[in-house]
Amino acid sequence: MRDLKAFALGAVAVAVLAYTIAAALAVTAQAAGRSLDVALGPFVVVSVARETTTAVTTFGSGLFLVALLGGIANLAAAQLIRHRSGRHRDRVE
Amino acid sequence: MIAGTDSVDLPPGVSLREGRLEDIVRGDSWALNGSGAFVLGRVGCPLDVIVREISDAFELPLEAARLDVLRFAWALNTLALVNVVQRGSRIRRLADWVTLALRLAPAGAFPIPLARRHSLDTRSVPRALASALTATGPRIAAVALLATAVALQLAAASGATGSVFLLAMALGAGTGIGLGLHEAGHVASLRGVPSALVLRGRRTFVLHAPVDERRRAFVALCGPGMVVMVGLAFVVAGVAIVTPGLVILGLPLTAHALSLTMIGGDGRVACGI
Repeated sequence: MRDLKAFALGAVAVAVLAYTIAAALAVTAQAAGRSLDVALGPFVVVSVARETTTAVTTFGSGLFLVALLGGIANLAAAQLIRHRSGRHRDRVE
Repeated sequence: MIAGTDSVDLPPGVSLREGRLEDIVRGDSWALNGSGAFVLGRVGCPLDVIVREISDAFELPLEAARLDVLRFAWALNTLALVNVVQRGSRIRRLADWVTLALRLAPAGAFPIPLARRHSLDTRSVPRALASALTATGPRIAAVALLATAVALQLAAASGATGSVFLLAMALGAGTGIGLGLHEAGHVASLRGVPSALVLRGRRTFVLHAPVDERRRAFVALCGPGMVVMVGLAFVVAGVAIVTPGLVILGLPLTAHALSLTMIGGDGRVACGI
């Protein structure tokens, strides 16, 4: 259960942050009348495509990938902290 | 730093009762010895005066009495059981602080800041929010001003134009607001639980009566959770109406989501670590 919590919290936290940064980039590009394309390999994070009179902003599956990586990193950090705090306190190595 | 001209004060929730120092928030009390009761019986008096009185009453050398009283006041302040009321000129205090900092610098240490405890009203959620924001108000303003100044400086250094300065100000405002909302979120989730807000140097934390593990995890989540919700509202609104200022305002608020990870204490508490 603790592992699930650590993974979920890490994934949510990184997803929120990644979405905000992507949104900031997209809106800034849109306001400046530019196009934008941010991707992790084949996975699009955010793209702003200019058409004649409008701009189309797309948040892609790259955000899920970033969230997944965030969850895994947080889970690894949680296990590391637990492992270290679980060491015997009456001996040194 | 505590000077002889300073005095100590019992914060709300801490009282003297039948020779014991009682803390309603912690739900605990501690027996005082004769000299401890003597010092705390004179709250509001300058410590120099208490030192002279205790030296006379207990027939102690003045310097030994001074050390005892200052150590006692320091220890209680570290536990947020007394507030130190600083008197004398601010310039003199700043000069004393710089002198001490220079003496400690070779050891790679800084003077330890004093703690200041504020009462919180947790009888209802609106009262909790109001008391938390009131207690953190000056700090919110200071953080917002500092962050704005840094962001404006960076904007100027990068040769930015007018609208970027507005974004820098939004970033600064969001940073300050985020701090206040974070603590307010914790306090709002502590409805009915005796609590106090403690400011110590750059640290801000909520001291609360013991609660069960589930409630503790919930309280830990509510601080960053509330800021992130507000931040996301700004971001979504900014995206919807294509206003970079709103998204930038939401950025430092949503950054509190990192508190939910192992980087932040709240995330560790929420995961039971």
